[in-house]
Amino acid sequence: MNTQEEVGEFTQIFNALMSLMRKFIFKVLCAGPIPNHVSFIMDGNRRFAKKHNLTGLDAGHRAGFISVTYVLQYCKEIGIPYVTLYAFGVDNFKRQPEEVECVMDLMLEKVEYTINQAVSGNLNGVRVFFVGDLTSLNERLRVAAQRLMEVTEENKDLMVVVCVAYSTSHEIVHAVRESCVRKCDGTGDDPVVLQVSDVEECMYTSVVPDPDLVIRTGGGDRLSNFMTWQTSRSLLHSTATLWPELGLWHLVWAILKFQRMQDYLEKKKKLD
Amino acid sequence: MDLNQSMRLLSSWIAQIGGLGLDLLWRFIHLVVSLWYIVSGIIEAVESYAISLGLNKKYSSINIEKLRCLAVVVDIEEARDVSKVIELLQWLRTIGVKQVGLFDSQGLLKKSKDMILGTVPGSVLSEEIGEKNSSPDQNPLALEFISSSDNKEAVMKAANILLQDYLKSSRPENDKGENFFTETHLNEALRVVGENVHAPDLLLVYGPIRSHLGFPAWRLRYTEIVHMGSLNYMRYGSLLKAIHKFTGVHQNYGT
Repeated sequence: MNTQEEVGEFTQIFNALMSLMRKFIFKVLCAGPIPNHVSFIMDGNRRFAKKHNLTGLDAGHRAGFISVTYVLQYCKEIGIPYVTLYAFGVDNFKRQPEEVECVMDLMLEKVEYTINQAVSGNLNGVRVFFVGDLTSLNERLRVAAQRLMEVTEENKDLMVVVCVAYSTSHEIVHAVRESCVRKCDGTGDDPVVLQVSDVEECMYTSVVPDPDLVIRTGGGDRLSNFMTWQTSRSLLHSTATLWPELGLWHLVWAILKFQRMQDYLEKKKKLD
Repeated sequence: MDLNQSMRLLSSWIAQIGGLGLDLLWRFIHLVVSLWYIVSGIIEAVESYAISLGLNKKYSSINIEKLRCLAVVVDIEEARDVSKVIELLQWLRTIGVKQVGLFDSQGLLKKSKDMILGTVPGSVLSEEIGEKNSSPDQNPLALEFISSSDNKEAVMKAANILLQDYLKSSRPENDKGENFFTETHLNEALRVVGENVHAPDLLLVYGPIRSHLGFPAWRLRYTEIVHMGSLNYMRYGSLLKAIHKFTGVHQNYGT
């Protein structure tokens, strides 16, 4: 056996051992309550690229996508049913046009890659939803996103909601508009009054329950216009780690924090 | 008992023992995590006292002008002790904060508004600032009292105003309301129902967890949220540290 084959075999054994260890850690973690819905504010891609002297406007975001695949794999193995990713905010459109175009092209590339994976049966029960003001995306990306949602429609193990062209303020205005127009269209002589449920039905993120845990990377202590309506009872966890550097132990730590506070969070939900 | 039954029983025992083992390991891990929190709490307390005593020069001067509006979220159980809230406000006044929004989900602090305004020197309701031309205090502390009714309920009231305007308007068929329902319109409608739409720069959370507990969503977009721990164990040094850290934050607001 030559050196390359030996290295390949060693890598396989090492990966198998790591996988076993990870599954054991998750088994222990699952002895306690697991969040039903975890949201991620994926901050730090550009700083990662700068830190590692990576060239290219999308270099940091490419590294960020690798992190997405690992995090989703971990969430699926733990058994978390819903994950939301804050991929691109409405305010991010104010960045340099070249950077925005680069990020959109990268998103299209990754969506098309994921469609191929889904069609080949490699997506393993993951259902993908795109939410946000999708009309502000270019047509190719919009069509690709729609296709990915269709090919993964039957998957039931993990629902991944990707927030693109999203912000809470935009979401609230959109939901108010939609619900008002619906109320006007569907009523006879009854007084027309909006309820909270009417508006919440029309929110972009109405496909998922409210998050139990929000994890923000990059060290920021703010929600950056992300799900402020839905996070009244969420544990907000912030880590200085940049998104492409987020690993298994960061996720485990966040879940351990959630488990410590579970009694309090349950009590708050009952008060509602 | 045949072999299959014995195997099933054995598997069941092994599963139960395995489950018990995992449960014990989980509890042990949480014990270690709790010890970590105790140790880091002690370190934080020592640091806080050092800051209060002025031993750390870094916190001796704070650029308080950067903090235009501060909000304080108090867990409902802790909001019952109004004396602690009053003490906190007095500390904030000492630091030089000029505007504070006080939030608790059930409006307990709103009910104690008169007591708080009567006890904290130089405090006035924020809506009264500007109405009184001569204030006895040159540097009043403007207070705003907020609860959950200022969150989703307030947005509903504003939305219903917009809805009524929309119904009365002569709109084309198949109109989707894009000219009627915008951020500007919603902001204006919120002002009409008496809501403050300004976003606080910094939100200090006093309670068991870091959560905004239902603070008005419309105002929280880029607010820095800092968890301060329990109000019962609040420390002046920790408050100084949180405000100092905020003044060093640079936000790019998504750009």
